[in-house]
Amino acid sequence: MSRLWLLVGVVAIASLSIALAADPALAQASPFGAPRTQLAAPPDGIVGWLLAKQSEFYRGLSGAIRAAKKDGSAVWTLFALSFAYGVFHAAGPGHGKAVISSYVVANGETWWRGVVLSFASAILQAVVAVAIVGIAAVLLGATRRTMDGTVWWIEVVSYGLIAVLGARLLWVKGRALIASWRKYRAGNAVHSHGHGSAHANDHAHSHAHHDHAHHGHAHHHDEAHGHPHHGAACSGHHHHHGHDHDHDDHASAWGHAHAPEPQELAGPGGWTRGLSAIVAVGLRPCSGAILVLVFALAQGLFWAGVVSTFIMGLGTAITVAAIATLAVGARGLAQRFASSRPGPGMLVLRGLEVAAALLVLVFGIALLTGYIASERMFA
Amino acid sequence: MISRILRPLALGVLALGCSVFAAHAHPHVYVTMTSEIVFDSQGQMTGIRHHWTFDDMFSSYATQGLESKEKGKFTREELQPLAEVNVTSLKEYDFFTQGKMNGKKAEFELPVDYFLEQKDDLLTLHFTLPLKTPVATKDIDLEIYDPLYFVAFEFDKKEPITLKGAPASCKLSTVKLGDESQSKSLSESLFSRPDPNNPFGAQFANKIAVKC
Repeated sequence: MSRLWLLVGVVAIASLSIALAADPALAQASPFGAPRTQLAAPPDGIVGWLLAKQSEFYRGLSGAIRAAKKDGSAVWTLFALSFAYGVFHAAGPGHGKAVISSYVVANGETWWRGVVLSFASAILQAVVAVAIVGIAAVLLGATRRTMDGTVWWIEVVSYGLIAVLGARLLWVKGRALIASWRKYRAGNAVHSHGHGSAHANDHAHSHAHHDHAHHGHAHHHDEAHGHPHHGAACSGHHHHHGHDHDHDDHASAWGHAHAPEPQELAGPGGWTRGLSAIVAVGLRPCSGAILVLVFALAQGLFWAGVVSTFIMGLGTAITVAAIATLAVGARGLAQRFASSRPGPGMLVLRGLEVAAALLVLVFGIALLTGYIASERMFA
Repeated sequence: MISRILRPLALGVLALGCSVFAAHAHPHVYVTMTSEIVFDSQGQMTGIRHHWTFDDMFSSYATQGLESKEKGKFTREELQPLAEVNVTSLKEYDFFTQGKMNGKKAEFELPVDYFLEQKDDLLTLHFTLPLKTPVATKDIDLEIYDPLYFVAFEFDKKEPITLKGAPASCKLSTVKLGDESQSKSLSESLFSRPDPNNPFGAQFANKIAVKC
């Protein structure tokens, strides 16, 4: 099998994912020079509907707060609207779904961790919004310009953290990709002498940190090698189509003795790493929440604004978690197919991770430099 | 063989890409406006006078923490520093007003006669954008919108535009209100530094044409 094809595959996947994700982002930014493409046009109806709903719920919030002032039971309307707004609004920018999804893909996080990341960052956003308005407006009686300034600084820090997170992921994932590439080449070199072990070893390493190994799933290759293969984890149930060509995916010669690889260090690690993503995304409060809080304060119903903010956060978390779940699914799919072609497949998967890591970095930089507009308030 | 990997992978990436970029922000400021196109005694257009009324949430956000004699009520004087800040920072956005006189881009001076007033808890910003040089013109085209659509501009239904002191021959020929296009094509663009040829908010542009 030709290495050239493989390279083409990796490059195609990486550039496809980057193009898909980043193209609308960068098309308008002349420094990157890319022309606007067809990809920038999504299904109008759905987006239009989303937009209209968001606006509708948002505009209903102030009326609900006013109503609650007269009639306490109207807070339920407020809470219901807040929830709906949160669900719809999270689809808009600034709620970290892009960053969290990319992070989850790059890091090979599980579904559950994706969900936890989504909820934690959304709740943090709510806490930050309440803290800003609570401290600045309620306690200090600050003007909105002071609050704007505070939010601005928080944004800079948050975007900076996203960029750092992306850079770190890119560093780790880039090295993993290079390592995989080297091994693949080395494997190929060995193959040319008709021996597959070096290559197989690569595969075992790449998957060793995943845990759904299928023990005792013997088939003819195992028998030939004389021991069953664990560790070829993400390959899951793909072994039933027996490969009878020279790229086989069984940990044989060097089996399970492996030193820590970059990809293992970068795998679903401790919660500390997750925390960096939560903080990077969750630090930035939602403008809508701040407006609602200040309005509630002016109406003498600050507490209702606080509850509304947290309910919004809950709604937001559900949407972001759903999108992160999709991302995890997409990665899982990629992983399954990667494992059906151990050598090149692994490279493609690593390429995908690098692309996702790059995306986080690009987001951070684009947000920092203003190429991606987050929500902005008037002048 | 490669295609066996690539196809599903591409689909996965596509799904991810789509889901990640599937929506847009909504405006956080809603402005209901009336505008006057102002002419001098020679029948030359001299500028535009805007009256922009902000929504209740933004109005209370804007006045948060401002000093006033009566809590929650603000006089024109108490609001003047804020009006000053508003018109100053609006410059960065070209006052959300684009004009063409006889097909040539209109150049505006800095705003004059500006003030804010509060009525029924809503703030209204009044200001005049003078043309650098008054022009006798056959065609006036104005567009008022935020290219990024963070501010939603909507004309007042009752009295959207008036021609003030215009020669009798001048007629308001088209008024396209932004929300008429809302249900139509909404292209995707999360991003600022808009492509001048196709900014997101342009779909919600309010277009005015005057023929003399």
